[in-house]
Amino acid sequence: MPLADQGSKLLRISELVCLSLMALAFYLLIASRAGEAYTVWQVLHPAFIPTLFTATFLLLSILLFTSEKTTYKLLLIIVYSILVHSFFSIILPAGDFSGQQIVLGRTRRVFDNTVLHGLSGWPTRTIGIFIVEMFMGINLQAALTTIFARMLSIDIFYVHLSYIPILWGVFVPIASFLTTRAIGASEKAAVLSGLLVSAFPYTVYFGAISVPNSLGFIFFFYSLYFMLKHLSSNNHRTAYWMVAFSLFSFLSHYLTGIMSFSLLLLTIAFKTVESEKRPASNYSRILLISSFLTCVSLLPLSFIYLRYFGTSANPAFTLDKLYELPLLESLGIFLIGALTYSFSLEAILPVIIGPLIGLCWMIYLLYRLKRDVNAGSRVQFYFLFAAFLTILIDYGILKLFMEGLPLNAERLWVIRDFIAVPFVALAVYAVVSSFQTFLRARSPQTTTVACLKALSKGNALHVLSLLLTLNVLIPVLLSGWMTSSLSVGYPKVAPLQTTWYELEAVRYIQEKTPEKYVVICDIWTIYAGEMIVGINNPRAYYFGESNRTGYDLYASMKQDPSSQWMLLAMNYTSTAVSYFIVTEPRLGAEEFNNVVSKASQNDLQVYATFGNGKLYVFYAEKQ
Amino acid sequence: MERMRIQNGSYIPVTNMNQGKDLSTIEKSVTQDKKFLYTIISYSVILATFMNLSSFQSPFIGFTATIIYFLINAIFLGNAFFQKENAFFRLAFGVLLLVMLIGFVGWLVMIIYNLDVIRFTLALIIATTLSSILNRRMKTKNAAS
Repeated sequence: MPLADQGSKLLRISELVCLSLMALAFYLLIASRAGEAYTVWQVLHPAFIPTLFTATFLLLSILLFTSEKTTYKLLLIIVYSILVHSFFSIILPAGDFSGQQIVLGRTRRVFDNTVLHGLSGWPTRTIGIFIVEMFMGINLQAALTTIFARMLSIDIFYVHLSYIPILWGVFVPIASFLTTRAIGASEKAAVLSGLLVSAFPYTVYFGAISVPNSLGFIFFFYSLYFMLKHLSSNNHRTAYWMVAFSLFSFLSHYLTGIMSFSLLLLTIAFKTVESEKRPASNYSRILLISSFLTCVSLLPLSFIYLRYFGTSANPAFTLDKLYELPLLESLGIFLIGALTYSFSLEAILPVIIGPLIGLCWMIYLLYRLKRDVNAGSRVQFYFLFAAFLTILIDYGILKLFMEGLPLNAERLWVIRDFIAVPFVALAVYAVVSSFQTFLRARSPQTTTVACLKALSKGNALHVLSLLLTLNVLIPVLLSGWMTSSLSVGYPKVAPLQTTWYELEAVRYIQEKTPEKYVVICDIWTIYAGEMIVGINNPRAYYFGESNRTGYDLYASMKQDPSSQWMLLAMNYTSTAVSYFIVTEPRLGAEEFNNVVSKASQNDLQVYATFGNGKLYVFYAEKQ
Repeated sequence: MERMRIQNGSYIPVTNMNQGKDLSTIEKSVTQDKKFLYTIISYSVILATFMNLSSFQSPFIGFTATIIYFLINAIFLGNAFFQKENAFFRLAFGVLLLVMLIGFVGWLVMIIYNLDVIRFTLALIIATTLSSILNRRMKTKNAAS
């Protein structure tokens, strides 16, 4: 059989094995699905990580060492990417707790048509606030999820949990590929970046949860790609796309939107300077510096102005942190944020290694560019370096000089990782290429182990070690990095996630109660309730997650489980029926038994029990 | 190897032809949209989705209709704006643009009133009409340039 045919057959077999391993990994994820779990790691099938590691190893070998079509390589990466972002949606019965559950609670109201004019609180708020809230990311996401759920004719619960992992899995690797290609990288390096984007823990996490910010990150990445394209072309269409994706990024979430517009400003400045004749004039230098400063200050200033738009957050600049914290701690916070406090190399390394490699390679390329004035992609490198610096400075400002922020500054790390990933891919590919070049120079005929017989013993050992490093060590190191990133991306410590019996209890009450009702319960059951019936649903009322009355009523019921509090809740919400839910794992066995026995003494009626007696539902109605 | 004669008298291998037929023939046919055939198919799919939501509520019908809807309209949009990219990226950009378009139209409809079944159907009709118009307009523009 000719060598080319043999190679092609081997490639097809490798691809088939890789796909089979990924299918097996999907199956193992489904087999790990648990009704009651704290973290995904607690219930993950023991064979999953070895399977994923082998699949990653094989995939990397296909990407690095074969001349397979880019399209096929990207398709394999997409399957892999969907797999690594689906842990929450497949393993846990209601996905990760909190953020995405709160979003689903609000989206459910749009899906059930129990709210008009989106999730903006109209007509109870003023027109100004309505206009601002109209542009809040949750509205775009609610519209998208509702449309997908109606198109597929399945409940919004399932669509909401799975659509971001799928969108992210498909579009982020493609964006990464395109961005890397836009800075002049080879197809192989660009494809590698499509895979390596899943090696950054924060991108893994945000690709796995369905929140507006995740949607914003996807659009941000495409706006970044079109900015790079705009820098190298005079096509006006590229400029339109750059603005369009920035707008969508803003519609999805203001953090990504403001970062998109900041970088847009920087792009325009770079483009203006680039179009001038060299050497750069003073005007160009001033324009670049002032644009960079504006770009850096946009995000912190936008937080300050948030208070004028009726948000509950009250961000402000402060020097307190700088005065109070020791220098070393301040530096630690600036570089690795909250990871400073739980100092563990196992957690820090996967978070910083990617951006660090990216930054080092960026600086190395810029150093090389200095010597080669006419090098291609010059302006793109400078732009990305400025963008990377912007993120670092903004992160430092948010962490050290601001307080009362409505969100976690670590979200900026996703953007930092998006900028770093093309350079990480370029660095890895440069190492692989240099090994290949060295191997060819050392022994031109020896590219496989089978050809080693022709060499002397000393030479054969040397070439064998090179071959092993190239074909085994590099893919093993990268696979190890990617797999260990998952262990940081998906939290290892978490409270008990929403359980199957909490969901079942909420569904059961919803199905069996024709009257308007109110449920007094803990925050966890409130999340479950929001996901099934929606937040503040007047027919099936669960107090919002930050509602003080709901919290007080639950605390009173725990102390004295009697019908007087349930009656109070019914009067407060104008409902006819009231339920009280207590769950053993949330309260602890002793307190749970105490509450249940007190409720029985007070003649509270047990409506139903779920999870083999782990969850009790008590019932009362207006006489 | 089995060969087939094509119009200019030359031959191409049948296997290569079949590979090409898979994607590019479908894509070409959809893009040409002769007598608005694919636009009409797209509207029919919306009608089927509406009927499914109103009566059957079958996820199987829903999935099938969604795939057809996305395929037609993504090809329209991908070809309208990213004709120079290869087929894979054209389709990827087409799907992304369609997600953006239906997201934007849905968002607008929701802000104006709500997204019940009728207004959801309306949003899909608007998205299809825009995709079809853009496909025709850009096809003419691209041909001219």
